[in-house]
Amino acid sequence: MPERDNLTWIQDLQTSSPGREAALADLHATLLRVLPRALTRWLSPGDPALETLVEDVAQETLLRVLDRLDTFEGRSQFTTWVYKIAVRIALSELRRARWKDVSLDEMTESADRDAEPDFVRGRDAGPESAAEQRDVLQHLQRILSEELTDRQRQALMAVGVKGLPLEEVARRMGTNRNALYKLMHDARLRLKHRLEQEGLPIQELLEMFNR
Amino acid sequence: MKNFFDAFKRHPKSDRAPGPTMQALLRSVSMTDAQELSCEEVYALMDQFAEMVKRGEDASRLMPMVQKHLNMCPDCREEYEALLKMMEVPAKDEDRRS
Repeated sequence: MPERDNLTWIQDLQTSSPGREAALADLHATLLRVLPRALTRWLSPGDPALETLVEDVAQETLLRVLDRLDTFEGRSQFTTWVYKIAVRIALSELRRARWKDVSLDEMTESADRDAEPDFVRGRDAGPESAAEQRDVLQHLQRILSEELTDRQRQALMAVGVKGLPLEEVARRMGTNRNALYKLMHDARLRLKHRLEQEGLPIQELLEMFNR
Repeated sequence: MKNFFDAFKRHPKSDRAPGPTMQALLRSVSMTDAQELSCEEVYALMDQFAEMVKRGEDASRLMPMVQKHLNMCPDCREEYEALLKMMEVPAKDEDRRS
């Protein structure tokens, strides 16, 4: 593949450019070669699903690259920008496929309501520190119920506790990823301010739950 | 919704669950800034940030709000790490050496 600088890439990919097909073919080949490296946590090299996915993602990426060509600002190498687009497409698809059978209820329900909290069973936890931890925990629970909306608790549960993808949670909550992140950010900020107001230093709380 | 704090166990369906709920929540609260970038804002800057990192520059100091969002957002961090991995493979065809 010939080396192209950013300007050459942009020029070659113009609709009227004679170099367009070659440029697209080069990008396509590069993506087929390079994408699998990014997806090893999801699909192993021998998996036939990988080949199908990579081909689909490569094609979708090229379409999106052409569609957004005029938004490329040259802040990075053109190929890096293309890779970024490919990654977003690939991971969106992988997340959608992995979680498609999981409902919002399943994403937000508590795992085990009878379980004794791990951190109460601290190594050196005598009865006093366990009781102290329980008191603090109850206080924190009250703060959470006072400060946060149901949606914020849902989001924190699904994303923060269960580690589910923002995109998937957002879609089921009838919103989008950006709005969900903002919702969670607002929740975190409210809690931060409330703890400050109550004179509860977070570091000390963290240490308490680490004992 | 059931008691928010009942979920202390790692949820079996996700390998990203951070551990005891309260600790994870408090930690994320302690790291919270008044202003944080959105996922789309970080996406727009991610290629630039990644190249900085690859060049050995102190990206977290030069683009601290991007770094902060990556610390706070598992989805964006996952995409960023995937991008770094893609950048490890040479873009040029290195087989044509003869």
